Amino acid sequence: MQAKPSEISDNDLLRAISRGDERALAAIYDRYRLILFGLILRILHDRQEAEDVLQEAFLQVWRRAADFDESRGRAFTWLVTIARSRAVDRLRALGSRAKLAEEVGHSPREEAGDAAEDALKSEQGTIVRQALAELPEEQRRTLFLAYFEGLTQTEIAARLGDPLGTVKTRMRSGLMKLRELLSNQSRGL
Amino acid sequence: MMEHQEYQELLALHALDALDALERLALDEHLATCSQCQLELIELRDAAGLLAHATTPAAPGDEVRARILNQARAEAQSGQPAAETSAPVVAFRPRAAASRWPDLMRMAAALAFVALLLGLFVFWRRDVQSRRQVVRLTEVINEQSDQSLHDFEELARLREALELLNSPSMKKMELAGTQTAKTARATFVYDRESGRAMLMTEGLPMAPPDMAYEVWFIPKGHSPMPGKMFTVDASGHAMMADHVPPEARENVVIAITLEPKRGSASPTGAIYLSSPAS
Repeated sequence: MQAKPSEISDNDLLRAISRGDERALAAIYDRYRLILFGLILRILHDRQEAEDVLQEAFLQVWRRAADFDESRGRAFTWLVTIARSRAVDRLRALGSRAKLAEEVGHSPREEAGDAAEDALKSEQGTIVRQALAELPEEQRRTLFLAYFEGLTQTEIAARLGDPLGTVKTRMRSGLMKLRELLSNQSRGL
Repeated sequence: MMEHQEYQELLALHALDALDALERLALDEHLATCSQCQLELIELRDAAGLLAHATTPAAPGDEVRARILNQARAEAQSGQPAAETSAPVVAFRPRAAASRWPDLMRMAAALAFVALLLGLFVFWRRDVQSRRQVVRLTEVINEQSDQSLHDFEELARLREALELLNSPSMKKMELAGTQTAKTARATFVYDRESGRAMLMTEGLPMAPPDMAYEVWFIPKGHSPMPGKMFTVDASGHAMMADHVPPEARENVVIAITLEPKRGSASPTGAIYLSSPAS
């Protein structure tokens, strides 16, 4: 890599990583550690677990960079998907432990606050937050339950006490609107 | 059969990873042949990925960077992934020695996997009663496919479970958690002819290091007969093949207790799960 890390595209960095270039791994870590760690922390609410998962996620990037196919989506989506999946897997594993702990009278992690509120307090991602703010509250809430708590449609319906069909419609409308609102602006994100 | 538009309506839920396992399976089948849906899914996934921007960015500890780079370097030098320090233990997903498989074996495993998926799908349509087991199996299979499908033994076990669920002399018993493990549940299915059996648990606490769960068959008017021992993963799941003795295939109660790891000849520990008295 001759160019400055900041000038190299995500796709080129991933290609370099797939060839075993450690500097490219360091560069992509430096570029996305804040947002990915923020995402993982939002899912897990525990710094130590989140650091552990961040490490797992970047090692997966190291091992699997050759699987990234730019014709099938953005590099950012690929990175975020890895980080989120790892975090949600960990959340599920921790969930059963948390249930056990509750039975003996204490919980190891605090309850998540109002997801929408938390998102709106964030200082970055203005465009995304604007787009989200334009969604009806129940659509936003459904999207967040799926994305940040890793719940399936059926689990969301049970959690909210809403019919499954309603939940499906909300998620679909929410994501469609998000796609529409972001379609002209996403390049800068 | 679902129509294109019905599949299209599932795409957003797929992008959010919120589909139930069977719908995901059906949609994946459609996606394999529909380029329009493939393209739309890419766009929707990109949109879903942007939700990451809705969180507050946060800085991990400085040492995390060094840990990642050190381990990456170590893996590059040794040519294989180093042991992951904190990966959760998943009792029914052994992964050892996978990378040494010859290509032919991999291909055979991939074919077996496809056959298994088709079997699952046919089975699902035929018997919605056993939907829960199928959902569980599908999840296991999806996890396998995510990891490039390594393990033949695991496939054989899944195939055995499916054959069992399809058997006309199959009997299914639901086990409920006792006071000791109120949230635990299990399904026990067995073939009344051959005695082949499969146990699937959820919500069981992890056993202490020197202890394991033991299955008991208690035929009416007889003392308990021991089945196999097992442990669960961090989510309380286990999936295990067992064999029901001929004298315990009718009028039987199935119970699960916590016992010393070497096993007990008769139950000594607390009962965690039990089927209703028949």
